[in-house]
Amino acid sequence: MRWSPFLAAPAAIVSTVPASATVYLTTAQAQHAIFPGASFTSAGQAGVWRTSNGGYFIVDQVFGKHEYITYAVGINPNGTVKQIEIMKYNESYGYEVRNPAWRAQFVGKTAGSTLQLNSDIKNISGATLSSKHITDGVKRVLQMYESTLRGR
Amino acid sequence: MRRARPLLGTLVDIAAEGTEDILPAAIEAAFASIERIQKLMSFHDVHSDVSRINEAEAGSAVDVDPHTYRVLEFALELSDVSAGAFDITTAAVLVQHGFLPQIASAQISSDATFRDLDLLSDHRVCWRRKGCIDLGGIAKGFAVDRAIAVLRAHGVATAIVNAGGDLRCFGEAQPIHLRHPDDPTLLMGLGWLADAALATSAGYFSGRDIGSRRIEPLVDPKRPCCISWDGSVSVAAPDCMTADALTKVVRLAPDAAPDILERFNAQAVVIDKLGSRCCGQPWLLQEGITK
Repeated sequence: MRWSPFLAAPAAIVSTVPASATVYLTTAQAQHAIFPGASFTSAGQAGVWRTSNGGYFIVDQVFGKHEYITYAVGINPNGTVKQIEIMKYNESYGYEVRNPAWRAQFVGKTAGSTLQLNSDIKNISGATLSSKHITDGVKRVLQMYESTLRGR
Repeated sequence: MRRARPLLGTLVDIAAEGTEDILPAAIEAAFASIERIQKLMSFHDVHSDVSRINEAEAGSAVDVDPHTYRVLEFALELSDVSAGAFDITTAAVLVQHGFLPQIASAQISSDATFRDLDLLSDHRVCWRRKGCIDLGGIAKGFAVDRAIAVLRAHGVATAIVNAGGDLRCFGEAQPIHLRHPDDPTLLMGLGWLADAALATSAGYFSGRDIGSRRIEPLVDPKRPCCISWDGSVSVAAPDCMTADALTKVVRLAPDAAPDILERFNAQAVVIDKLGSRCCGQPWLLQEGITK
């Protein structure tokens, strides 16, 4: 067994262009996903709803170096996190390519094929993004809940 | 139905097709199974099996979950087969370079290797010389495998689970993309994957700059230090734990890689300045197959 050249399928090079977005859930869908069957009333702040069972549904955004993520947190009546759902994932790159000559190697293989612009790319391998921003965001949301929402 | 949640230190994305009555519960159960693996194997969670192993003194046996034991069994087998190129006991080096937090590790022997971790009966493990393990190079893949098993058990027809780039699918074939190692806005189609897993190791998001060099959380056990490299390695295999672990072996032991890939029925695709090349079982197909 040895190494042989790997050829990408024709027309398989896709450029995401500087930005792309994946939408998982609208606000209403996220509410239903986290608190099925509940009803929601605005709690007087943008992105914050009180649920009919005494919990809270909060929409927040976090920003990473190349991405920003809109997500929802469901908080139980006892103040613990019920569930977190990603609503929208945006990535964007003002990225400085370190070795532009090397990049051409990919593009060169696609002579004759069309570059597709696809805003909903799935199944990317090698996209290891840290969830730390979301974890920090949830901490911030919980602090806000403790100081302004709990018991009101 | 497609959902994503922050888990395993990254975003885990699950897309599944099936009848509406089973999908929500199936996906919820799949995320729950990933959360359980996270609790068992997180380096950062003081109650995890990994932390308990890292706190144990030499000679003192630790009870672990059967899942943890299974991962350790595979890790040690791979260490043996790769002559130490894959080694979960390189955590101390990762701590040194700031990729993992400091733990109370006063008694860790700097000479301890994978050979110092004994697997005993009844899911117990024990250090000979005390070392420190990190399952970061293998646990994500294992978690993906558990999620796939749960989705299958719920009767889902087609699904793909993607944990920050480590993915596995079943049912209809799925088109897989790979980021160019040097330009994340450029995606290359790797081909179609059917009933298999794929993992990719590259430094573009996890690396750290030290002066003009860029290092990654990948340790070459023979030196031992964090390595720097521009490029990406993808491994396709029957399951994600194997794919995840083998990416490290292909990067650190490229000469031994072809035989090891054959042994585990896997395929590697390497992209670097020299070009793109592959070796092994042809998991990545040029076209999808309709079932």
